[in-house]
Amino acid sequence: MTIVTGKAEARRRLRSARSGVLRKVWKHRADYAYVLPAIAVMLIVIAYPIYYTIELSFFNTPPGLQLRDKTFVGIDNYTAILTSQVFWRVTLNTMIWTVASTFISFVLGFAAALALHRDFIGRGILRAILIIPWVISAVAASYIWKWIYHSDFGVIGAVLVGLGLADRPPNFIDSVSTVLPSLIVVNIWREFPFAMIMMMAGLQTIPDQLLRAAKVDGANAWQRFWHVTFPHLRNVSTVTILLLAVANFNSFIIPWIMTGGGPSNASHIWITHIYELAFGRQRWGVASAYSVLLFLILMTLGYFYVRALSGNERKDGSA
Amino acid sequence: MSTIAETAPRNQARRRMRIDGWRWGGRIFLAFMLLYTALPMIWMLLTSIKSGFAAMQFPPQWWPDQPNLSSYQKLLDPQNSVGQDFLRFFWNSLVVSTATTILSVIVAVPAAYAFSRFTFPGRNFLFFAVLLRNMFPAVIFLVPLFILMRALGLVNTHGSLVLTYLTFGLPLAIWLLKGFYDNIPVQLEQAARIDGATRFQAFILIVMPLSTPGIIATAIYSFIGAWNEYIYAYTFLSKNEQLTLPVGIQRFFSENTTDFPGLMAASFMMSVPVVVLFLVLQRYFVRALTEGAVKH
Repeated sequence: MTIVTGKAEARRRLRSARSGVLRKVWKHRADYAYVLPAIAVMLIVIAYPIYYTIELSFFNTPPGLQLRDKTFVGIDNYTAILTSQVFWRVTLNTMIWTVASTFISFVLGFAAALALHRDFIGRGILRAILIIPWVISAVAASYIWKWIYHSDFGVIGAVLVGLGLADRPPNFIDSVSTVLPSLIVVNIWREFPFAMIMMMAGLQTIPDQLLRAAKVDGANAWQRFWHVTFPHLRNVSTVTILLLAVANFNSFIIPWIMTGGGPSNASHIWITHIYELAFGRQRWGVASAYSVLLFLILMTLGYFYVRALSGNERKDGSA
Repeated sequence: MSTIAETAPRNQARRRMRIDGWRWGGRIFLAFMLLYTALPMIWMLLTSIKSGFAAMQFPPQWWPDQPNLSSYQKLLDPQNSVGQDFLRFFWNSLVVSTATTILSVIVAVPAAYAFSRFTFPGRNFLFFAVLLRNMFPAVIFLVPLFILMRALGLVNTHGSLVLTYLTFGLPLAIWLLKGFYDNIPVQLEQAARIDGATRFQAFILIVMPLSTPGIIATAIYSFIGAWNEYIYAYTFLSKNEQLTLPVGIQRFFSENTTDFPGLMAASFMMSVPVVVLFLVLQRYFVRALTEGAVKH
């Protein structure tokens, strides 16, 4: 008897909970109108492409044919990718590219933000100049640096020869060993200002009293930084590093315009490789399978990304 | 007594010296960063005022022997075919970027406001779904979007670009603005509503003016993103007269590979609008980050 009523009770509670959600949704129906435009655009441009990419990754698409002539091949595309040598080469490149660009951009940007935090004459102008590379187009940046790295008339080569450090101008982006570091330098040139802006904004949120109190208590500059400034900036740092990592992992323009992935895949990263597979060799199936693998990696990164971005909010909620 | 009087200034001197060490380190570092940032841009400008022949010399002319503005004249001359193309690309970029900017503000403002103020079921899920958009690279979306745009009849139109650009500007815009709205006290709106304003009036008259820096920051971000975008424009547009600047310049100079002064002049001209816009409005951008997203 008691058991039966218990079950019925549970069922009823479940039902009322379910209708509770519906009722809540209904009650808040006007609120959805505010987010609807944003969500609708997102759905069209995200949900459909994701579905389509997953579907295409199980098909073979012969080059030169229409996409509707695809044939189902199961997981062949995936096994082909994971057993190919290019895949591992490109993966290693991507890791070096992402980690080096992110880490160095962050450190340079953070240091610049700290150095610019103190007031001095010309600070505003200096800050503005340092931000410019972030604002200009990556296409323009690629051409500027391509010209600087030029193997015959490049200015860096000329300086090295002029100083007697090299017999003839080095081939920065036509040589397998130097191409990736050379491109990373360009990428950092464009990315460190973003870290700088974020950290500058973060620095402004630190109450002056805290630093002054630490100074009164005898903390030196390094101690003040390590025990007051840095802990305060942990949240901003996480967000900045993640945004940089995602942007770098997804970057395309700089390697694509400057080298097109060459020489012999030495500067191919995942995105340029996928692009070449799809639009160069028209192997849409393989390219889609690559994209799906990319999804999986990005979803893992995305978990941390969302947690970091929502970190502030959760703290507000509990406070 | 005398010992204290003696050690105090010495300590002070030592402390000043140590702080000076940090300060000098900072100055040297900033000087290095200034060189790293500015030298490539200076070299771009110097190259752009050389003749094609003068640019291709080794060792290079550090300062152009005969500086001239012929590259710029060529790009800006509507009689010249190069100038015609360049001006058209410039105009196309301007149209696409402006449309994107206006639309993203219109879409992002209400969304961010709702995410900040209302607690409707699925709010967190939707918010994260929006943020996740930025995780995915353009390349993944290219093929399906191309097919979608063809279905919508938007291929080779600027509409396809505006629609796509909207989605990658939106996540950061919504996130920035939400941080802003979170910091505007609800009491202000409540007071307005007690005085007889509707929710909409309270939003327009109270919340909007207070969030102006956030809206300006959002607008700059969308504009710069749209102005500099390359991959979608490269894929969606094939007609020469519709290209935007990044693609147009790339296409032009893959045919004229040795005209480096022209290329540098074009890169410079392409950068001017966004750099000027950003420099004029940058304090809003930093303020939006400080008061909105970064604050905790």
